[in-house]
Amino acid sequence: MTVSHLTRRDFLAGMATGVTAVWPAWMPRLAFAPPQTNARGDVLLVLFLRGAADALNMVAPHGEEAYYRARPTLAIARPDHSSVNSRERVIDLDGFFGLHPALRPLLNAWQTGHLAIVHACGAPDESRSHFKAMALMERGVADERGPASGWINRHLASHNTGNNSPIRAIGLGETLPRSLYGAVPATAMHSIVAFHLSGDAQRARQMTAVLRDLYWQKDELGVMGRETLAAINTLEKLDPARYLPQGGGLYPESDFGYSLRQIAMLIKADAGLEVAAVDLGGWDTHFGQGGSNGLMAGLLADLGQGLAAFHADLLDYMGHISVVVMSEFGRRVFENASLGTDHGHGGMMMLLGGHVAGGQVLGDWPGLEGGSLFGPGDLMVTTDYRDVLAEVIQIRLGNTAVDQVFPHYQPTHHGFVS
Amino acid sequence: MPLNRRQFLQMAGLAAGGAALSGCAPIYTRLAGGPITLAQWPDWTHEPAYPLLRRVTFGPTLAERTAVAEMGFAGWLEEQLAYEAIDDRAVEIRLRPYDLIAQDADYLRLWDPEEVQRPFQQATFLRRIYSHRQLHEMMVHFWTDHFNIAITKGEVWALKPVDDRQVIRPHALGNFADLLHASATSPAMLTYLDNQANVKAWPNENYAREVMELHTLGVDGGYSQQDVLELARMLTGWSMKTHGWWGEFTFDETQHDPTARQWLGQTVAAPGQASGTAALQTLATHPQTGRYLATKLVRRFISDAPERDAPELVEKTAVAFSRTGGDIRAMLRVVLLDGLAVWPGPPPPKFKRPVDFVSSALRQLPLETDGGEPLQTELAAMGQADYAWPTPDGPPDIAAAWLRNLLPRWRFATRLADNGYRGTRWQFAPSLLAELEQPAALLAQLSRLLLGGALTPADSQALLAALTPTQAADLAQAAPVFLAGLLASPAFQWR
Repeated sequence: MTVSHLTRRDFLAGMATGVTAVWPAWMPRLAFAPPQTNARGDVLLVLFLRGAADALNMVAPHGEEAYYRARPTLAIARPDHSSVNSRERVIDLDGFFGLHPALRPLLNAWQTGHLAIVHACGAPDESRSHFKAMALMERGVADERGPASGWINRHLASHNTGNNSPIRAIGLGETLPRSLYGAVPATAMHSIVAFHLSGDAQRARQMTAVLRDLYWQKDELGVMGRETLAAINTLEKLDPARYLPQGGGLYPESDFGYSLRQIAMLIKADAGLEVAAVDLGGWDTHFGQGGSNGLMAGLLADLGQGLAAFHADLLDYMGHISVVVMSEFGRRVFENASLGTDHGHGGMMMLLGGHVAGGQVLGDWPGLEGGSLFGPGDLMVTTDYRDVLAEVIQIRLGNTAVDQVFPHYQPTHHGFVS
Repeated sequence: MPLNRRQFLQMAGLAAGGAALSGCAPIYTRLAGGPITLAQWPDWTHEPAYPLLRRVTFGPTLAERTAVAEMGFAGWLEEQLAYEAIDDRAVEIRLRPYDLIAQDADYLRLWDPEEVQRPFQQATFLRRIYSHRQLHEMMVHFWTDHFNIAITKGEVWALKPVDDRQVIRPHALGNFADLLHASATSPAMLTYLDNQANVKAWPNENYAREVMELHTLGVDGGYSQQDVLELARMLTGWSMKTHGWWGEFTFDETQHDPTARQWLGQTVAAPGQASGTAALQTLATHPQTGRYLATKLVRRFISDAPERDAPELVEKTAVAFSRTGGDIRAMLRVVLLDGLAVWPGPPPPKFKRPVDFVSSALRQLPLETDGGEPLQTELAAMGQADYAWPTPDGPPDIAAAWLRNLLPRWRFATRLADNGYRGTRWQFAPSLLAELEQPAALLAQLSRLLLGGALTPADSQALLAALTPTQAADLAQAAPVFLAGLLASPAFQWR
């Protein structure tokens, strides 16, 4: 659902022109810091799969006969289905659930115990409207009456970490995700490489001076102007062009891959990043979703390769990183006649990090047999998404004010993270 | 203070003089009135029409300011509403290089997507800048957002130019029911929201849901999941020809589920395609649709929070919808004349979305542009490339969604001020610069040109202090510094 504009060509062109123009050779660069151990807790990365990702094909219940009955063409073949090419079968995780084959790159993180899956997870909203569901979920509220700000922003507002970095919270993209709306300034940036003013160095300096004087207002625009200037100042001390991922981390050449790579660099530079939000779009697969190959498999390959590269690149830092993957709801259990799936209810979340209850599919599985379905034939929600986020906020980020992040909600503790 | 007759004649004279001087300029510049002149540009700070014009155009030009001064806002608005009568040859001539997009979909499909997409976006861009039918263009943009279609999906790129030509443009100031029916039979829409794959064996709910949620009733408009499914069934078989005239609408009886339906609390028992048509008519005239559209119109022209700032105006606009059977002009008259024009004090702030920001910079400067690729790239970086918003809700219309991404605006301001875009160039007559003599005088004129009035002394001081001694000594070098600062300033970010 995010618009992809940055091609590999643009990215390289940005490195070639932007860097020579704005990062002169004499400019001091920040050294990469050791894994940070200060009081502000983990760096949180929130990946939102926009469009209601089909959780049932991402982490397929291959032990469930009803799954295959409901999806005669879309279901991913059982791990032992001998007449199907082994690369097109489910990758078994625990004898009942298995990963979509395009998510194979995540196996390493799974085996390291750094990846957990919470299945049949989601929000109480039953509208099956992308836009209502996303708005409620990103605001972290159950209905329209809750606060308009986003849950991530309320976390930042209620958790004083003494961190004044202009890149405390960023959204990778042209518009800021709603979860970051609110009183704490958060900046949308498509690319760190390109996060500088245009023109030659003198022109950029002149413009910086002018903008500093013009953006003095107390309103949101004034605040954002000053934050943007500060972010330019912070980021121009980095050297993204020369960033070399570690651990053989090969980020995919996609917007998503570039976003993760840039976040990894910010984490290693210890530039004050606390929360990054990244959107990954295209999951509204009413038509031509495909099974182990096709439209959704392509999206999953991007997701899997990106996360795996991020994990490998930041393996030494995993003790201080929490990644959450979420979507507004799941899709109908039954496929439609156009090789797709319509809007459903329950979905799933992924947790990646050094302190997650990894290597397990967590949550209560309600099953897919007739009586256990919800509404027109959807997966039931047995774990509220806020339970997952609340544990991350409280235990990994050290914020005790979860009641301010999720007002009027009493989260249940499940032990998803430690 | 309204413009007096002397000032008006002075401005009209300037415009005419510009036209006479441009003997060797392309014909469209002459038709458009020629390059505008900066000298004696009036201060519009106290001109009541100025804030109104900023809301209903993509950035007021000298010609529009002059016209409003002459005939008043209400008179000008009536002229804009009767847009067919406004001579727009100037823009039509500019669009000739992009004739390709006037072709049918089955011909467009033979080209590469880029070869269609680029002229399509460019033509849209040029219409916003150069069309004299500004309100029509504003409403074309409004409905393009409302019935959002992303050309990045499948073969939609070959279909959307037809949708723009046959659905959005002819009905943008017409009747909402006509617009909705046109959209529902538009192959671009049916493909974008998967209705071409909606068949009786197992319906595809995508379009049926969005037509209620996003195009008519709104998400809290009182329909259920069962209503979504029933409407999907009524719309089975509404599809697109894939051979013969590829890209034409077709109703495929063999894929239609003819069962009578209980839907939205009524029984729909019409045969074949008529059941879907009847359902759409119900949606198109539903009072809830009127309220939903009224809210969006008030949000576009007046306030980010219509329910808070203007609940009575929303209601009045919804009443106009019901009273006139969905006449868009009638709704606009309420929003603009009973709302915007008589708003006590300055209307609530509206942040320029990227398209507004870029267009107003180009329209308010004395400038020629081809709307080419470098500008399209900037719109994309700001988050609002045309026909590229991926989700059917269309780009948001509130400040909070846009004011977190300022850097691309600042970059655009700097580069435009430096005349750094191929195909786009602003220019002031050298004699004018000579006349002004001092940087402070130039800055005052430029801020009138872009902001309508003078900067605060502190902001003025900031821009004057930024000049290097060389720039301060040469107005031709000072102008880009001032322009960049003014375009990037907070004041220029609001409509």
